[in-house]
Amino acid sequence: MTFRQARWDEPDLWDLAPAPDPGPAPAIPGVPERFRRKETLRWPELSEIEVVRHYTRLSQMNFGIDTSAYPLGSCTMKYNPKVSELLARRAGAASLHPYQPEATVQGALELTWRLERILSKVTGLPEVSLQPAAGAHGEYAALLMVRAYFRDRGELDRRTEVLLPDTAHGTNPASASMAGFTTREIPSKDGCVNLAELQSAVSDRTACFMLTNPNTAGLFESDILDIAETVHAAGGLLYYDGANLNAILGHTHPGRMGFDVAHLNLHKTFATPHGGGGPGAGVLAAGEKLAPYLPVPRVVKTGRRFRLDYDRPMSIGKIKTAYGNFGLDVRAYVYALSHGEEGLKHVARRAVLNSNYLAARLGRSLPRPFRALVKHEFLLSGTPLKERGVRTLDLAKRLLDEGVHAPTIYFPALVEEALMVEMPETESKRELDHYAEAFERAINDTAENLHAAPRSLAVRRVDEVRAAREPILSWKDQRSAPAKVETP
Amino acid sequence: MPRWISNEPGEEAAMLESLGIASLDELFRDIPKKARIGRLGIGGGREEPDVVREVDRLLDRNRPLTKFATFLGGRISHRYIPAAVDAIVSRSEFYTAYTPYQPEASQGMLRTLFEFQSLWVELTGLDLANASLYDGATAGGEALLFCRRIHEGHRFLVPASLPWEERSVLSNYASGPGLRVEEVPYDPRTGNLDLEFVRKAIAAKDVFGVLADVPNGFGHLDEGVLDLKSMLGDVPLVVSADPLSLSVLEPPGAYGADVVIGEGQGFGASPSFGGPLLGLFACRREHSRQAPGRIVGSTVDLEGRPACTLTLQTREQHIRRSRAMSNICTNESLMALAFVVYASTVGPRGLAALQSSLAEKARTLASALGGIDGLQAPRFDAPYLGEFTIELTHGTTAGFLDRLRRRRILGGHALADPRPGAPKEAERILVAATDAVGEKEIQKYAAAAKAWAAAGGRA
Repeated sequence: MTFRQARWDEPDLWDLAPAPDPGPAPAIPGVPERFRRKETLRWPELSEIEVVRHYTRLSQMNFGIDTSAYPLGSCTMKYNPKVSELLARRAGAASLHPYQPEATVQGALELTWRLERILSKVTGLPEVSLQPAAGAHGEYAALLMVRAYFRDRGELDRRTEVLLPDTAHGTNPASASMAGFTTREIPSKDGCVNLAELQSAVSDRTACFMLTNPNTAGLFESDILDIAETVHAAGGLLYYDGANLNAILGHTHPGRMGFDVAHLNLHKTFATPHGGGGPGAGVLAAGEKLAPYLPVPRVVKTGRRFRLDYDRPMSIGKIKTAYGNFGLDVRAYVYALSHGEEGLKHVARRAVLNSNYLAARLGRSLPRPFRALVKHEFLLSGTPLKERGVRTLDLAKRLLDEGVHAPTIYFPALVEEALMVEMPETESKRELDHYAEAFERAINDTAENLHAAPRSLAVRRVDEVRAAREPILSWKDQRSAPAKVETP
Repeated sequence: MPRWISNEPGEEAAMLESLGIASLDELFRDIPKKARIGRLGIGGGREEPDVVREVDRLLDRNRPLTKFATFLGGRISHRYIPAAVDAIVSRSEFYTAYTPYQPEASQGMLRTLFEFQSLWVELTGLDLANASLYDGATAGGEALLFCRRIHEGHRFLVPASLPWEERSVLSNYASGPGLRVEEVPYDPRTGNLDLEFVRKAIAAKDVFGVLADVPNGFGHLDEGVLDLKSMLGDVPLVVSADPLSLSVLEPPGAYGADVVIGEGQGFGASPSFGGPLLGLFACRREHSRQAPGRIVGSTVDLEGRPACTLTLQTREQHIRRSRAMSNICTNESLMALAFVVYASTVGPRGLAALQSSLAEKARTLASALGGIDGLQAPRFDAPYLGEFTIELTHGTTAGFLDRLRRRRILGGHALADPRPGAPKEAERILVAATDAVGEKEIQKYAAAAKAWAAAGGRA
């Protein structure tokens, strides 16, 4: 198959039409003249069709799940069901203000309540809040809860350390540090937490250990029960990063593994679209110790009525405006309802089957670190390519030319020239075979072609070094910068 | 089982065979027995028509804003969205994409975000914007941490009139590094910031940032904000601005703001019961490497053709880990797309005309409510655009709003912190003119308020 992405020579919006004359904006009666905009907003005046064409053309220069397989590791890029889009756009979902009286939003509160109950069962943790807007936001909120918990126990002065494995997502240490903790990495052994290292690292300074299971090497941390015991014996709490929950749905859950608190990414496991970078939804689930600290309001059922409960004296309060990304909660509810018990379990089975099947096949082309049995994702190392002067980056770019997206690259850092591949359950065997063939074509191509890739996309290889060294971050910068287009 | 997973006969068997294993369960042998679970207890799956019926049953129990004369506002707006905006936002090349890690495959979203950043720069008069944060409140939290990175101190000043949710979010963001959020009192007549309080706090040398909102939490414009920077010196000024107001108001960069944040949902996104929203953030060039969130830059490709990419990434969590400027990974890119498509469809003059028209409706409403017994509208003697605060001198906000609701009017929202134990506040309601109301709805509001007054302020 020969792939060609659209290659429009589409100007920037402001090069399509002029901005209006820069006279003052209209005066508003009662508003002091000093407050009035002296120059009308500088932005092009366009007709609707010009705007529509511009963004339609731009959209044609973008990969999405609907255009191609998207095997980014730890991102769980599964099909986003169309029925979810349909329902989330209903007036009864989209046209609701969060400050409407409770009596007028009973359905929204009930949907929230029902989704929370489902997620509580999926995580094995009794209390759930849908307030966080994204995974990292959920991590951060959970760490604020950890903080409040130790403050109430009079241990906060001492318990200042968050432990995490060296395979942790970057958001983990960043969230911990925003929440006022210091972080310490536990080295891995064969891709998993080195239990002995953890045992010697925990102490009465440990606030919590943050763990993704399966981890970012795609391995299930089989020592999890010992890990939990180690952390708890030291008086610390165990935090579950739910980015990789897809692999274990219905087989195990954070509650059974001994976690005290978890965040889930509805935009991964529950198939809500990622919007080209967001929105997400970063559900919090908490065990008994931390549940009283969840953000307010909580949705409660009294008789047949649903209401927002603000009477949680130990709550950390608010972490965003309103109650969460409700539009995504509707989609996640549709997903959970459609699959049900058996369906969710099958999601995990098929995701893990896909991952192992593709790993075995791609493992013929590149070495796979660590053990063979993986969960939802697997790692490859691009080191053998170096003999040919080729890097993982070149392979990733060459894959784009095949019309498929590249895996996550250069993460986790413990594997040199890493590729992290995740093909969720919604990809068929045919698609996996197709991806494998594309991968083999790419890797067997000449060094010259790999270096020159991509050739079939809207642009050739992008100069990221120049972008960082001479930042042009807006139209305003373009106006003051020298001409950006040069001939090489 | 939904059709979202391939179930071609023989497919799974062939895959298992190639792996040399007999059953799917063998793939889970690495989960210790003691960690396994039985049934979840969430019921069986359902076919698509059944799911649609069930979810519609729930959604039909809601009464959408379109069924009411709606005067609800605050940071979240009920505003008409041109069909063209939804058409673009619904393009699945955009909405089913991930964060644009591979720029060559993602020029559509990257260029859109570059245009979005450019628009927020033009609206605010600052130098650079990021590619979005979660919402206006968390943008405030990020702004607080940003200020601490560029200035020493422990105290962050915010108006006491700031919506309680935002004060709570800010306190959370401040708690990690042990910083303090302090409320600046307001003049009881105008709602304006007590500038003398600010002056004294600054003189004490421990303030690392000051936040002011335009319009403020009461919906009013505080002229003192225009002079605030001159009293702050090098202490950073954060202005939280309503994007639509910036079509007619001076860009905050022109009166010294170092950071401008805002809530962008009102540009092209539905209120959706409060989310997804859109956090806006802009700052000055010299602080570009301290800014939180994704940033898109313009550069060239191998052939010298213009291209965009995520840039200045050494600030971010995936590189800098515990020393990152922020933990932001997922943001609100699709809402940023809606924002720039909305503004471009309506156009710069159209935005100003919309703001003028909302302001006119608000004035009409204020005069229709003026002189009604038991309420003061507007409560504060200060200029306003499309929103203002009313205060009840007897009765309760709950009773007032409930009476209006029974007449199919959503009359605004109570400003008080609803948490038990929160300090007792006056019975105040923020009222917003929306583009869905006209003269008829305004008179209906006034009639309902009069009936409430005639009943002695009883629901």
